[in-house]
Amino acid sequence: MKKFLCSILLLFGGFFSMHAQTFTVEGNVTDENNMPLLGVNVLVKGESRGTTTDFDGNFSISGLSEENVLVLSYVGFETREVPITGESFLNIVLTSDAAALEEVVVIGYGTQQRKDITGAVSVVSNETIEEMKPVRLEQALQGTAAGVNVTPSSGAPGAGININIRGVASNSVNGPLVLIDGYQGDLGTLNPNDVESISILKDAQAAIYGIAGANGVVLITTKSGKKNMAPTIQYDTYIGMQETSRQIPLLNGREYALLLNESYANNGQALPFPDLSEIGEGTDFQDEIFETSPIINHNVTLTGGSEKVTYSIGASHLNQEGIIGRDKSDYQRNSARFNIGIDISDEFKLQANSIYTSIDRRSINENGLGSVLFNALNIDPTYAIDQEDLNGRLGNEIINPIAQIENTFNDYTLSKLNGSFSLEYTPIEELTFTSRIGYNVSNSKGKDFAPIIDYGPGKVFNTPRSTVNQNRINDNSYTYDLFGTYENTFDDTHHVTGTAGMTVIRDWGDGLFATGYDVPNNSWEFADISLTTGTNDGINNGAYKYDIRKLSFFGRLQYDFQGKYLVSGMLRRDSSTRFSPDNRVGTFPSFTAGWILSEEDFLASSEVISFLKLRGSFGILGNDEAGNAQFYRSLLNGEATYVFGGNLVNGTAPGVIANPASGWEESEKTNIGLDLRLFDGKVDISADVFREDRKDLLVAAIPVSGILGGGAPGAGAPTINAGTTRNEGVEFAIKYRDYISDDFNYNISYNATFLNNEVTAINGAEFIPGGQFGVGQPQPSRFEPGFPMGYFYGYKTNGIFQNQAEVDAHPAQDALAAPAAPGDLRYVDVNGDGVITPDDRTNIGDPIPTATMGLNINLNYKNFDFTAYGYASLGNDMVRNYERSQPNVNRHAYVMERWRGEGTSTEVPRLTTGATSNRVLSEFYVEDASYLRIQNVQLGYTLPETMLSAVGIQSLRFYAAVNNLYTFTDYKGFDPAASTGEAIGGGIDYGFYPVPRIYMAGLNLKF
Amino acid sequence: MKIFSLKIKSIVLLLAVITFTGCSEDYLEKTEEYNIDSENYFNSEEDYYNALIGVYDVLQSTYVNVLLGEIASDNTLSGGESATDVIGFQQVDEMSHTPINDNLDDVWDWNFAGVQRANYILEFEEKTEFEGKDMIIAETRFLRAYFTFELMKWFGPIPIKGDERFVIGDETSIPRASREEVYNQIETDLQYAIDNLEYTAPQVGRVTKGAAMALKGKVHLYQDEFPEAANVLTTLINEGPYALSDFETLFEQEGENNEESVFEVQYTGEEGAGFDCLQCSEGNVAVGFQGIRNYSGPLFESGFSFNVPTQEAYGMFAADDIRRDLSILDIEAWAAETGATYAEGYKHTGYFNRKYLPRKNDNMGDANLTQPNNYRAIRYADVLLMAAEALNRGGIDDELARTYLNEVRERAGLREVENSGDALTEIIYQERRKELVGEGHRFFDLVRTGRAAANIDGFTAGKNEVFPIPLEEIEFSQGNWEQNPGY
Repeated sequence: MKKFLCSILLLFGGFFSMHAQTFTVEGNVTDENNMPLLGVNVLVKGESRGTTTDFDGNFSISGLSEENVLVLSYVGFETREVPITGESFLNIVLTSDAAALEEVVVIGYGTQQRKDITGAVSVVSNETIEEMKPVRLEQALQGTAAGVNVTPSSGAPGAGININIRGVASNSVNGPLVLIDGYQGDLGTLNPNDVESISILKDAQAAIYGIAGANGVVLITTKSGKKNMAPTIQYDTYIGMQETSRQIPLLNGREYALLLNESYANNGQALPFPDLSEIGEGTDFQDEIFETSPIINHNVTLTGGSEKVTYSIGASHLNQEGIIGRDKSDYQRNSARFNIGIDISDEFKLQANSIYTSIDRRSINENGLGSVLFNALNIDPTYAIDQEDLNGRLGNEIINPIAQIENTFNDYTLSKLNGSFSLEYTPIEELTFTSRIGYNVSNSKGKDFAPIIDYGPGKVFNTPRSTVNQNRINDNSYTYDLFGTYENTFDDTHHVTGTAGMTVIRDWGDGLFATGYDVPNNSWEFADISLTTGTNDGINNGAYKYDIRKLSFFGRLQYDFQGKYLVSGMLRRDSSTRFSPDNRVGTFPSFTAGWILSEEDFLASSEVISFLKLRGSFGILGNDEAGNAQFYRSLLNGEATYVFGGNLVNGTAPGVIANPASGWEESEKTNIGLDLRLFDGKVDISADVFREDRKDLLVAAIPVSGILGGGAPGAGAPTINAGTTRNEGVEFAIKYRDYISDDFNYNISYNATFLNNEVTAINGAEFIPGGQFGVGQPQPSRFEPGFPMGYFYGYKTNGIFQNQAEVDAHPAQDALAAPAAPGDLRYVDVNGDGVITPDDRTNIGDPIPTATMGLNINLNYKNFDFTAYGYASLGNDMVRNYERSQPNVNRHAYVMERWRGEGTSTEVPRLTTGATSNRVLSEFYVEDASYLRIQNVQLGYTLPETMLSAVGIQSLRFYAAVNNLYTFTDYKGFDPAASTGEAIGGGIDYGFYPVPRIYMAGLNLKF
Repeated sequence: MKIFSLKIKSIVLLLAVITFTGCSEDYLEKTEEYNIDSENYFNSEEDYYNALIGVYDVLQSTYVNVLLGEIASDNTLSGGESATDVIGFQQVDEMSHTPINDNLDDVWDWNFAGVQRANYILEFEEKTEFEGKDMIIAETRFLRAYFTFELMKWFGPIPIKGDERFVIGDETSIPRASREEVYNQIETDLQYAIDNLEYTAPQVGRVTKGAAMALKGKVHLYQDEFPEAANVLTTLINEGPYALSDFETLFEQEGENNEESVFEVQYTGEEGAGFDCLQCSEGNVAVGFQGIRNYSGPLFESGFSFNVPTQEAYGMFAADDIRRDLSILDIEAWAAETGATYAEGYKHTGYFNRKYLPRKNDNMGDANLTQPNNYRAIRYADVLLMAAEALNRGGIDDELARTYLNEVRERAGLREVENSGDALTEIIYQERRKELVGEGHRFFDLVRTGRAAANIDGFTAGKNEVFPIPLEEIEFSQGNWEQNPGY
C-alpha cells in the first residue's frame, strides 16, 4: 500500500508536456436566449490549454488544427464539444442542463450526484437552517434528517448537544465524526449561518472515513461564492426573548405544611407545623429563579465571484442570556470567516477557508444533587426568598437557590481558529489529485471563584476559605489528506471512478490548572491567582498533555453501467496510537450497490414514477474514540499525597488502569433502501432498513474488579472492549411539494425512524452498571445482554397496599429497607421465590426512543411564507431523580394524590418520615418521557422587489418566529428531551435546565 | 504557464515531502507526550520513595474501615440523617447487609488499591539498586500487610498474587487463597519490616519497627497464636520507646504522634475534598461523618451524626473512669453546660464519639470531609492489652498480663485488679472495649473471641463473622470467587 501511494506522486511528474500547431479560432458563446455568457471554459480536448469567454461571450484560441475539438463547459449548462472544421469564427449556443442542476451531495473524498448515491445519506440544506433559526447548528438536525436523534444535555446557553445517528452507540463519545470542509471539526462552535449544507452518512458508505466513522459521519460544507456572481451582501439578524418552557408544579407553602404534618404524624412524631393558620402560599422558588432573558444575533456575509475567483466572507455575533441566572449562565459567540476559491490555472485550483470563533460562557451548577434547580425544587416553600436553612432542616445538601446563583462566579472563554487549504490538480480531464490540510487551533481559559460563604452548619457548599481556580487548555489538530480521483466513461456505458489516497490525523494539546487561595475582599473582581494572598501545602496546580496520531490509507472504486447499475467498493487501513503497537492497525472494507429502475425501459415511460432506485450497502467501520487519550498504558497521574511530619508530601502513583489488550471497535453496518419520486418529483420518498452490529465496543471507565486498584485516589477504571450491541430499524422520509401557482406553493415533509437496540454480548462480566439514583443506592442503569443498552434495573410495582391484609398476603419486602405497611408500594416478586429481594429487580424501562419523527410544513403565499417544524420521540423513559429523599424537602404536586387510607390511591404511596421501602428504584420513578415538540414556527413577509430595486436592495424579508413553542408530554419533569448523552446512565433527570422557549423577530436583507 | 510550472514544481516537491513523511509508519511512533509511564518507572531512589508515598496515601481511605467497623459493633448505632442516609451504613448497623452495599464495596476496593500500589513497588523491586532500599521495601511490605490484614478481617481469605500487580483477567483465574496462605504472607511481610526498620522513622508518620511488631502481635492474636503474640508484643513493650500518655489530650491535636502512638494514619485539613472522591481526601472523612448534626457551639464543628454511641456503651464506664467523658460526649449535658445547639439525627442516642469528633479548625472545604484528626491505628494501650490477652489466654503469665492491664487501668483512674484465669480474661475483654471504644476494633475483637453473636443484635453466627464479598466482585470473577457462607 505504501508503495502504491508513494507512486501516486510519480504521476504528478507526468504533466510537463507541450506541443505546437497552426491557426487561431475565435468565437462567441450565448445561452438559448441569445444572451452572451461570461466566463465559459473553452478547452482544447485532450490538452491542458484553453481560455474563458469575456464579458461579451467572446473567446480566442490560437494554435488549433483540424484534429482538435473544443470543449465548452459552464456551470448550469450542458458541456458541449465542438470539432474544429476550419471555420475561424464559431457561434456556439449552450443549453441549460437540467441534470447538472441535480443536487450534488458530498460523500467523502468527493461528491456525487444525488441520483447516483448508493448509501443512506440525509442532507440538510441551508434553506432548512435558515428556516429553523437554530441557535446551535446541531438543532437543525432534529427532525429534519431521518435517523438522527439530537438531545440537548441542558437548556443552558452554550451547553453540549448530543447527536446519535441510528441509535445509541458505545460510550460517552458516541457522537458522529464531524468533518467541516473535509477536516475533523466540532459542530458545537460553528455558526449555523456559515453552513451551506450538511450531509449525514448513516451506513457503510461512511466506511471511506474508516476511523471514527462508526458512529456515522456529518459532513459540513461551509458557504462559498459562485463564479461570475455579482458581490452580494446578506445581513441577517434577530432579537428574541426567552422564557422557561416549563415549571414543575410543586406544593405551595400551605400544602407543604399540611403534608409535612401528615408525614410526621404517620411516623408518630410531633407535628412540625402545629399552627397552620399563619402559613400562606409561601415562596415559589421556581418563579424566583426563572427569568425572561434576551437573545440577539447578527450575521453578515459577502459573497461573490469572478471568472477565476470565488469568495465568501462573513462575521457573526450571538449573545444569549440564561433563563436562570441571566448573565450568570450566558453565552456569547463571535465569529469571522472567509472562503476563497482560486483557479490558479486550468490544472490547479486552490481553495482556502478559515473560521475564527470566540466563545464566552458562564454557567451555574446544573443537573445534579445540589444544582440550582434541584435546590429550587426541594427547598422549603415556607422559607422567605432570602432565607437560609440555618437549622439544617433540609439536610446538608439543600441551600437557597437564589443565594447559590448569587455566589456563583465563573467564566470560560474559547478562541478557536480552524480551516483548511486545499489544492486540486487536474493533469488530464479524468484525473484529479487533491492535497488538503485542515487545521484546528483552540485555546480556552476557565476561571471559577468560590467565595467564603456559610449557608448554615454542615452545608456541603460552605467555603471556609476562598479559592480561585484557573485553567488554560490548548487543543490542536490537523488532518492532512492526499488523494487522487480518476473518473472516466468507456464506450458511453461504463462509468468508472477510482479514488485512492491517505489521511494523516494528529490531535495534540495540553492543559494547565492552578488554584489560588484567599481572594482579596472575597470578591470576583479580585479573583485572580495573581492577586491571591494565601498559601497552601498541597499541590495547587496540575497539567496534562496528549498527542494522538492516526494514519490511514484508502481506496474506493465506483462503477456504473449506463447510469443504471451502480456498485462501489472501499477498503481502508487505519492505525491509531490510542492502541498498543500490536493492536494498532485495523482494515475496514465496505460495498455498496444500486439499481436505478426508472432508467429501465419498463419504467422509463411511466407517468407516475419519475425516479426509482434500489440501493444496498454493507461494510465494517472502526472506532477508536472512547474518551481517554490512550487505553493501553497507564500514566503516572494518580494521586499520591500523604502527610509526613505534619506536612503534605507528594509522590507518584499510576492513574487510570491500563488495558494493553484494547483494540478497534468494529461496527458492521447493513442497509437496504429505496428512493422513489412520483409525479414529476412532487412526491419524494426514501426508505431504509438497517442493521448495525457493534462489536468490541470500547467503553471508557468500565467498572472492573477492585483488586486491580481502580479505587485508589486518582486512579480509574480502564477502557475495555466490552461487548456487542445491535441496532436495527427502519427509516422513512416522504416529502410532498406542490406548486399550485406563482402565488401559492407548499411542501410538507415527514420522516420517521423506528429503532430497536439490544446488547447481544458482553466480554468478561455479566453486566456493566452506570448512572446514579438517589444517594447511596445501587447504580440504576445496565449494559446487559438481552436488554437495551443502559436499561433501568429496578423493581416492578403492582399498586399500593390498601390494608394490612394485603401486606400480609404479599411476600415480605423487608429486605429492601423496611417492612411494608398499608400505603406502601407493592413490589412484584419477579423470581417467584416468595420474598422480595434485590434479585427481583428487572428491566423497568430504557431511555432509547422506539420511534422518532419529524414533521415539517412550509407554505408560501404571495410574499408571505410560513414554516413549522415538529419533532416527536416515542417510547423513551426517564428516571425521576430530582426528588431528595429527606423528610422536610418540598415535593412535586403529584403527592396531593397520595394514599391516605384504603381506596385513596393506587399510584402514589403514603407520606411518612419513617423508614419505608418506597425509595428504591422502581417503576414508580420511571416515567414515559415520550413527547411531541413544536420546535419552530415562523411567519415571514418578503417586501415586493419593485419597492426595493430602486434603493439597490435585492430582497428584504421580515419574520417572527417561536422556538420550542410547546411540548406535548406526560412527563412530570422539566424537559423530556434532555439527556446527559451517556450510553449507560442516560435518561436520569436531576432537574434538567429546560430548553427555553424563544420568541424572536428578525430580518433578512440582501443587496 | 512557465511561471506556474516553477511554482507547480515546488508544490509537487512540497507534496512529496509531506507524503513521504506521512508514508512512514514512524509517524505513529514519534508522539510527543509523557515518556514515563507506569512500566518504565523506578529509575532512581526518588522514584521508589515517591511510589511509596502513593501506598501511604491509600491509608487515608481506611477511615471507612474504622467508621463502618464501629457501626457494626455493639458500641454504636448507625445514625445519620434518616433511615436511608448512607443505606450501606444503616444495613451494617442492623446486620441486614447484603452483597449489595456501596460502603462494603469501598472497603474492598480501597484496601485492594493499597495492596496493588504496594505490589507495584515490589514488582519492580529489583530494577534499581540504591542504599536504603531495604527500608523502603520494608515499609512497602508493612503497608501491604496492613491492607491485606484489613481485607482478611472484613472478607476472610482473599485472592493474593505475591509480589506483582493484579492485571485484567486475574479476577477470573486467581482463586481466593486459603486462610493460611494469606496469614503467611502477612506475617512474612511484617517480619521483613521488623528486620529492616528502626524504632524511629526518618519522618513522623512513616512506619517503624514498633508498628510492624505491634501489627504482627495483633495478627497472631487474631489466629489465637498466643505464644507468638505474647513473644513479639512483650519484646516490643520491653524494647520499644512507647509509653502511655495523658488521656486528657490523647485525642486532641496535641496528642497526635505522641509517645503512645505506635502506628498512626496521618490526616490534614490543608487540602479540599469532595463527595465524588472520598478516598482522595487528605482529611479524615470519618470524623466529619461522626460530627454532631448542625452543631453550633464551642470546641467542636458540626457533622453528619453517624456512628452514635449507645446508652449501654456510655453506661459501661464507671463514673470515676476518666475515659468516659473523654471518649463519649453526652450532648444534652454539653449543651446545657455550654449553650451549644444541635439537631437530632436518625437513631439519636444523645451520645457522640468524642475521640473523633471534629474539633474547631480552619480546614478546607468541604469541611465535613477534611477534618485533620489522625487515626490512632495502634496505640500503646492497645499493645499492652493485646499482650495481656495473649499472656492470659495462652496460659503463659497471668501476673505479667495483670501488670500490663493495670497499667492501662491506672491511667484511667481505676484501681488495680488481682484476678487470674478466665476472670482475668473477662476483665481484659471489658477493659479493651472501654479503652478502645470508638476506634473501630470492637466488632473484630468480638468476632475473633467468638462473642459476637451474644453481644451484637441481629448477628448470625456462621455468617456475620465476615462481610459478604461485594456482588459486583462476585460477578467480575465469573464464578472464580465463592461468596462467603450465608450471603
